[in-house]
Amino acid sequence: MIRFKNVHFRYNPHGRDILHDMNFTLKRGSYHFLTGPSGAGKTSLINLLFLGNIPTQGKITIFGQNINKASRKEMCTLRQNIGVVFQDFRLLPHLSAFDNVALPLRISGRPNNEIQSHVSELLDWVGLGDQKNNRPETLSGGQQQRVAIARAIIAQPKLLLADEPTGNLDDQIGFRLMGLFEQLNRMGTTIVIATHNPNIIEQFGHPCLRLVDGSVKQDNPALHIKKKIRHVF
Amino acid sequence: MFSKMIHNKIWQKPHRLLQHVQSRLPSFAFTSISNHIKSVINRLNKHNPLKRKNYDLPLDKNEDTHFLVLLIALMSFLAVLSISGTIAMDTMTNRWSSGLENKVTVEISVETKEGHILSQETIGQETLELYKMLSKHPDVKSADVLGYEDIQELLSPWLGDSMNMKDIPLPGLIAVELQNIDEDGLQAFTKDIEKTSRYAQLETHREWLSDLIHFTKTLQTLALIITIIIGFITVIAIAYAVRTRLALHHNEVELLHHMGARDNYIAEQFRGHAIALSFKGGVIGTAAGLVVTYALTLLSSHSGTDLIPVIHIGAWGIVILCAVPILVCIVAVATSQLTVLRNLAKMP
Repeated sequence: MIRFKNVHFRYNPHGRDILHDMNFTLKRGSYHFLTGPSGAGKTSLINLLFLGNIPTQGKITIFGQNINKASRKEMCTLRQNIGVVFQDFRLLPHLSAFDNVALPLRISGRPNNEIQSHVSELLDWVGLGDQKNNRPETLSGGQQQRVAIARAIIAQPKLLLADEPTGNLDDQIGFRLMGLFEQLNRMGTTIVIATHNPNIIEQFGHPCLRLVDGSVKQDNPALHIKKKIRHVF
Repeated sequence: MFSKMIHNKIWQKPHRLLQHVQSRLPSFAFTSISNHIKSVINRLNKHNPLKRKNYDLPLDKNEDTHFLVLLIALMSFLAVLSISGTIAMDTMTNRWSSGLENKVTVEISVETKEGHILSQETIGQETLELYKMLSKHPDVKSADVLGYEDIQELLSPWLGDSMNMKDIPLPGLIAVELQNIDEDGLQAFTKDIEKTSRYAQLETHREWLSDLIHFTKTLQTLALIITIIIGFITVIAIAYAVRTRLALHHNEVELLHHMGARDNYIAEQFRGHAIALSFKGGVIGTAAGLVVTYALTLLSSHSGTDLIPVIHIGAWGIVILCAVPILVCIVAVATSQLTVLRNLAKMP
């Protein structure tokens, strides 16, 4: 479903590679944690995954489509199937919580009545039903993060990327949201979560993509199946 | 304020009309008609640029919005003045050309070519001879001898009404309207006049009229160039404003792009904003320009002197001037669309 083949990436054409020789495959419906020390390139990899940047070298295939050969229109369609929770939320400050969450549906041209019902339902679910008309500046960090998560999942994306999604949340809400990601994963959404939190990685026991000095190491999935079985029983 | 007013007048009127029709039609006939009308209104409203829209980008919150409206208003005002000047000059040239077409003046000068001064008696006799000949000439439609009063009226803008013409030696003047004759016919006609009176001179007006028309054409070209420059400045101002907004809202635009918004979806936001601003500015500027043009028209028609020509715009001229806000909108939409798409093309 998602395949990186000999992918290199650098921001400056004359600079050094931030990510180099990346080779990995994420299967449809898989769930991965993305870990690594600060500056290892987690955010750059997330950027490549949501097509915010294109690789300097190598081939990325997303949903069976080679992005190097995709037209502009096809790239838009691919992006509409990817939900992203940014580390800094990136909520639009002039829009209410409702309008922020409704953005992906508006962009994909869904009818107003569908937007109204889906967004209200999801905001109720993340516990922000009574804050839907408030702008981000009036919401707390945790509430803003929940709006960002709601915005990322509202259009039921095939791939969900989250950069430190539980960073500003207390443990209870953090685990509840991780539970939501689990639920989405069971419905077939492929999930990649960048996190520093070893408790979450340990608790949920999904395979890890470990970034070290710009290259990725994929854990042995069999090891995680064992861990997960141990966790369940 | 204008956009709100126009929105209320144009876009809400169908709804009121619908309510009125509903009260008069039987319910069974009304259902299908009203559904059809409602779908048409909804479709119209979808494309209504003046309807308040919840933009994904806070374009209407920018501080330079009022400056841009003012700039577009100023440009529209100058464009209206420039276009109305061009139209007025065109009307004036046409009036001069058609007014003097096939008209010539035969003159018995006070001073001969040799430098002798003719007596008023001789001038009168020569004028009479010429008039008799012209009255019978096949190429002449009509001929009128200009009397003292006519000449006084002609000279009054320069000499004033109080001047006593009896003290001044006046030439003999005959205003002649010719049939449609070509250049050869005109030469033959000149010879006939010279045969009748050796003092007579034919003034065809063609030389000075062609100079005048040439001059007005130059002014018209200049006005056209000014209009093009105004248009060019408007394009630059709008492009600059759009680029500034793109830079100001780069993060928001990038976010929409990353969420899968098509370039046209983002450009549409700028387009709607550009239409609203340019229409507002265009209407204000055009209205001010029309007021000034109307004032100049009134001033020229009540000037009391023939030296200032009467400015006439005409119905078509007014239609063209009223189209200025629409033209401004078209320019704004095209500029904004191109600028946004060119900038978005730089994003992967």
